Amino acid sequence: MCENCGNSDLSLLNDIFAKMAENGDNLITVLQKAQEIYGYLPTDVLYEIAEKTGASPAKVIGVATFYTQFRLKKVGKYLILLCKGTACHVNGADGIEKAICEELKIKDGDTTEDGLFSLKTVACLGCCSLSPVMMINEETYGSLTPARTVEILREIRRREEA
Amino acid sequence: MSDTVKLIIDGKEITASSEDTILLAAEKNGIEIPNLCYLKEMSPYGACGMCVVEAEGSPKLLRACSAKVAEGMVINTMGERALKARKIALELIMGDHKGDCIGPCKLNCPAHTDCQKYVKEISDGDYEGAVRTIKDVIPLPASIGRVCPHPCETACRRQFVEEPISIAYLKAFAADEILKSGKHIIPEKKASTGKTVAIIGGGPAGLSAAVKLAENGHSVSVYDKMPKMGGMLRYGIPEYRLPKKVLDAEIAEIEMLGVKMVNNITIGKDITLSEIREKYDAVLIANGAWKSSSIRCPGEDLEGVFGGIDFLRAVALGESPAIGKKTAIVGGGNTAMDACRTAVRLGAEEVSIIYRRTRDEMPAEDIEIEEAMEEGVNFRFLTNPAEIIGKDGKVCAVKLQVMKLGEPDEKGRRSPVPVEGEFITLELDSIIIAAGQKNDPAGFEDIATTKWGTISADEITYATSLLGVFAAGDTTNSGASIAIKAIAEANEAAKFIDAYLEGIEIPYKKAVISEIDPTEDMFTEYEKYPRIRMPQRAPEDRRNDFTEINLGLTPEEAKAEAKRCLSCGCHDYGHCKLIKYADSYCTDCKRLKGEYHEGFKETRLEVIARDQHKCILCGLCVRTCEEIAKKGILGLVGRGFDTVIRPEFRNTDIASICASCKKCAQVCPTGALRIL
Amino acid sequence: MRIVIGEGSCGIAAGASKVHERLSLALKDTDINIGIAGCIGMCFLEPIIDIYDGKLLLKRLVRVSPDSAEEIAEALKNNDLSALDKLEISESDSVFLKKQTRIALRRCGLIDPESIDAYTSDGGYTALKKVLTEMSPEDVIEEIKISGLAGRGGAGFPTWFKWNAARRSQGEEKYLICNADEGDPGAFMDRAVIESDPHTLIEGMLIGAYAIGAQNAYVYVRAEYPLAIVRLQKAINEATEKGYLGKNILGTDFSCFLKIKAGAGAFVCGEETALIESLEGKRGMPRLKPPFPAEKGYENKPSNINNVETFANVSWIIENGGKAFSAMGTENSKGTKVFALTGKIKRGGLVEIPMGLTLREVIYDIGGGIRDDKEFKAVQLGGPSGGCIPKELLDTVIDYKALSATGAIMGSGGMVVMDEGTCMVNMARFFLDFTTKESCGKCVHCRIGTKRMFEILTRITEGNGKDGDIELLEELCDGIRSGALCGLGQTAPNPVLTTIKYFRNEYEAHINEKRCPAGECAALRTYVIDKDKCKGCTLCAKKCPVNAISGTVKEAHIIDTDKCIKCGQCKDVCRFGAVEVR
Repeated sequence: MCENCGNSDLSLLNDIFAKMAENGDNLITVLQKAQEIYGYLPTDVLYEIAEKTGASPAKVIGVATFYTQFRLKKVGKYLILLCKGTACHVNGADGIEKAICEELKIKDGDTTEDGLFSLKTVACLGCCSLSPVMMINEETYGSLTPARTVEILREIRRREEA
Repeated sequence: MSDTVKLIIDGKEITASSEDTILLAAEKNGIEIPNLCYLKEMSPYGACGMCVVEAEGSPKLLRACSAKVAEGMVINTMGERALKARKIALELIMGDHKGDCIGPCKLNCPAHTDCQKYVKEISDGDYEGAVRTIKDVIPLPASIGRVCPHPCETACRRQFVEEPISIAYLKAFAADEILKSGKHIIPEKKASTGKTVAIIGGGPAGLSAAVKLAENGHSVSVYDKMPKMGGMLRYGIPEYRLPKKVLDAEIAEIEMLGVKMVNNITIGKDITLSEIREKYDAVLIANGAWKSSSIRCPGEDLEGVFGGIDFLRAVALGESPAIGKKTAIVGGGNTAMDACRTAVRLGAEEVSIIYRRTRDEMPAEDIEIEEAMEEGVNFRFLTNPAEIIGKDGKVCAVKLQVMKLGEPDEKGRRSPVPVEGEFITLELDSIIIAAGQKNDPAGFEDIATTKWGTISADEITYATSLLGVFAAGDTTNSGASIAIKAIAEANEAAKFIDAYLEGIEIPYKKAVISEIDPTEDMFTEYEKYPRIRMPQRAPEDRRNDFTEINLGLTPEEAKAEAKRCLSCGCHDYGHCKLIKYADSYCTDCKRLKGEYHEGFKETRLEVIARDQHKCILCGLCVRTCEEIAKKGILGLVGRGFDTVIRPEFRNTDIASICASCKKCAQVCPTGALRIL
Repeated sequence: MRIVIGEGSCGIAAGASKVHERLSLALKDTDINIGIAGCIGMCFLEPIIDIYDGKLLLKRLVRVSPDSAEEIAEALKNNDLSALDKLEISESDSVFLKKQTRIALRRCGLIDPESIDAYTSDGGYTALKKVLTEMSPEDVIEEIKISGLAGRGGAGFPTWFKWNAARRSQGEEKYLICNADEGDPGAFMDRAVIESDPHTLIEGMLIGAYAIGAQNAYVYVRAEYPLAIVRLQKAINEATEKGYLGKNILGTDFSCFLKIKAGAGAFVCGEETALIESLEGKRGMPRLKPPFPAEKGYENKPSNINNVETFANVSWIIENGGKAFSAMGTENSKGTKVFALTGKIKRGGLVEIPMGLTLREVIYDIGGGIRDDKEFKAVQLGGPSGGCIPKELLDTVIDYKALSATGAIMGSGGMVVMDEGTCMVNMARFFLDFTTKESCGKCVHCRIGTKRMFEILTRITEGNGKDGDIELLEELCDGIRSGALCGLGQTAPNPVLTTIKYFRNEYEAHINEKRCPAGECAALRTYVIDKDKCKGCTLCAKKCPVNAISGTVKEAHIIDTDKCIKCGQCKDVCRFGAVEVR
């Protein structure tokens, strides 16, 4: 029917909808919770959310595409958030990005072919003293150099292959 | 609970409700504050930044759409700061607004004929409408349609799909259809003004101006030195390209309008310019460029050397110039093509074109070159006459210098340079020099000229150095050019003659418009559909006589061809708020061009076509759909520069949800939305 | 004896959790208690461990690696702290804290952020008690007025004025909102406060809610701060349990409920009307003002929005009196201000100082000056809304007015220091890249204007700058500043304007000479091989992706500058330092 529609198990959303009113959750919160479940926001999920929250589908997609947190495409198992804040910029974040892109052969916003890594540059992770910084899933890595960054990525890959 | 307050807007004392915004209060008092994202029925949005006004005592500009009036406020809607802010807002919008206000065909036509409109009319089968549209600019559509080198087609965007629309032949087709029907399309005439205008020269320029001036109620007389009207169309274009009965029919219609035609009058001989000036309230000189230029080559005075247009004129007058069996034509333009093909038809057995560059540089139209080749003309590229050799005072041969192309200059043009010592000799009975033409100043000595000897005419008003005397066409400024350019100048000149006669002044301002810089990748959505080929008589047949070589299009062919039009010009031009403001506030709307936002075209709503390239994100359609139509099917998608407006993301069923109220398109301040 | 490990985000990123794990293991059979604290602000020294005897700090260990856990455990068990001398903070680094005056950060890094008892035993919630039992809302507003507290989010608007407007606004239902959408790249004080001392924020908010008459409050936290959200939620839960939050707080008539709303990634939501839109679950696009949030804010109800740091000062002001607060600072800027000192600085971290200190004092006396002994070039204040202040103005005092006069702004407190290797044109480009990406897209000036500025700056840094580009930038700056709808757009030109103002020569060098004086802009670099240093190992030639390097084995190589794409791989790969950038 359409791109990224998927055949998501929409019953997973029931709990969110059930508690929506009680928690005073707005559309953003609902989308955040849905993304936690699916890892991204498939189109059928967005539709279901529109249906159940009473917001028009146009509004739901409008919100989902406004905020950088929301992803409409699947991401890799490891999501690299590379900080490009001011301090990181001054301390060489561009070089780190280059190293990641060369190592993984992807660009900002892309996912590696094997689905292991996705790269997303972000405005600021608020760890400026450790700049340059990146976050892979929940873990933060600071004081990066291109060589160390590549080593971290290879280490993850080794772990995955083992 | 609303109180009234007193304030001053643009020096005008106003009483308004304290609930009113400045914009509303101004509007109620007949002061228009520009805006692009505002609609009275909805809450203000604040996106366009056009409604900013200055308030005394406020360092910041106020957005009039949302700022409320207050007691004692002093508002200036046209202050320098506000104007500057609007200008930059518009320049930013225009720099990200991708669309053609006017079709490139119309823009590139020197006379701005509304090609897109008449092509559409032809595709709808409305030939009369088409001819009216053309005649708005060109009084001789069947003739011009046959001979025009069609700059419109050069600009046609369809070439990015495969080939341009055959606009000129469509024009000829529509005009022929109407001529065939016996119907005369003659413009409405205004009441007589009692003013008289003399036009010197009955060619395309003179006749066009005559029509325009007659339409405006002036009494017009056209003087021409030749026995019949039509100028170069009659005496420069061979019959096989333009049958003179077609021209006669079209000129007859001009006569029906009440234009007086006086032939066989040469200025300076039969009547002087001052006599004419005395007799008439205004004069337009449009006597063309009828003298063949010399190539400054020894032997040019020999018998058997003809000027290109002199030769064509002689043939048109029914004479048979003695060109013999072997002839050569010097030059690479359309006149050279006409001359060589005429020579073929006169029975010459060996006809050559002598041209100093290569085919790629030839100024003549491709089709003319091809047709000449088909008819057996021999092309000698990279040769240039060094000497015309005579025997007993008569041409017997030409010595040709062999040329080569030099290094490209700054503009990439490669000029020909002689190959030292290399010559060819060509035996000839005659030689025709078609290397340009110029005007004849005889009889117009009182008028200031340019350094090239042409009449100096103001490029905007076409006024000459003599009061009440105007000049247009080949006789002026840069000299000979194509017919449609002469027509364009004549139409403009007519406008200023009219103003001169009425004693009014026309302020000059070039309209600001939006134009795209087309590239092929913008046109990938269109299916390829080849351009129509004009059916023609076979070369071996047509080279023997002067009967028209083109057989004309059938209505089916013409309609199919017209349907290829991409309708580049915006449907909203004329109503578009954006361009109206751009025209009044900007000087250069391309200044802040850069990367464009993502654009796309879509018709999923079935009743509305969206061209997102033209969208300025005023949000009016989205808000109207939500707040007024109560449908909410349009939405903003993405953020920042990449924001676009789309109908909701579901692919199916969307049209059935749309109320088809079309309100979104009605409120769109640009041509981004079109009602289908 | 007990030890406290600094476990704010920075500490954790530097390895504090791993240290904690290893220490727990090593100390599991002892009665030595391991506690956590938030961020003390000495990020350059993380992970940090404080060793206490009761309340007395015995020793502060810095840059502790997980591998030293056993060693530390051994020393603690043996009660021989001298064995840890080599890990102790140096005298010079101690200066970092000593020169500060901490109000908003007063408990950060010192108490356990996950324990309300730690907060109350340190005097927490006494200000709230005082307010609810002894003061009227008007009294509170008056006290805040006396203090001279101004909005710490950047604009510096008097807090009392906003509170008063919200108080006076008609309506039964009112909202108090805390803006914790700390989006300025380079600022992280709000995160540190929430992670390290969430109850101070809650207490400040409750006092504010009482003052304006709000029954509901929200903290809008950016989603990039997961730890802050967890700790704040825990604090809300505990405070509710203990009766500091919810219905009839401390047995009074005052009720207030507090909820966290996580932002979803949009810098513009730091703008108060965009924040409100986002809080309502919509696209964070700013509204037109008027009406101001004090009249029509969240759900169209009167609302008041303050920043985290602003609230963090409130309980202190109530406890110590407005006068004590206003005694600090300058004539028009009272109290203290927290800065996130980062960049090419020796000692980077969180710094709270009284208003009126000079930039030089902060950068050199507290921050220790420039790293690697390079030359100071500029300091960036105020993030994408701020500007770069050059060396000549290092003695500018920290004060709203004085900083504005330079073309920069106080901002939320990002202070990024740059050295000679930072290209100022590229810096401006960096910020415009940010603004372009973060612009909500609503108004023309910001959406298209910042994009155009970014394009011009990009072409300048790529060596394609044109004569007149500087003037065009200035014109765009002027237009965007006066025409943009919200603060984001109106201040977006500041980084460009200040860099043009103070570093025009750098712009000119890029445009006219196609040269980047700082050597940062890749397109304007020239790579050359020093033939004396080159050993002819051929490594660079092999690595070069465009075969621009030629030469025979054991002989000096040459780079063909016409072919060179300036990727820098030759330089990276050379073991002899023979590749130079000019």
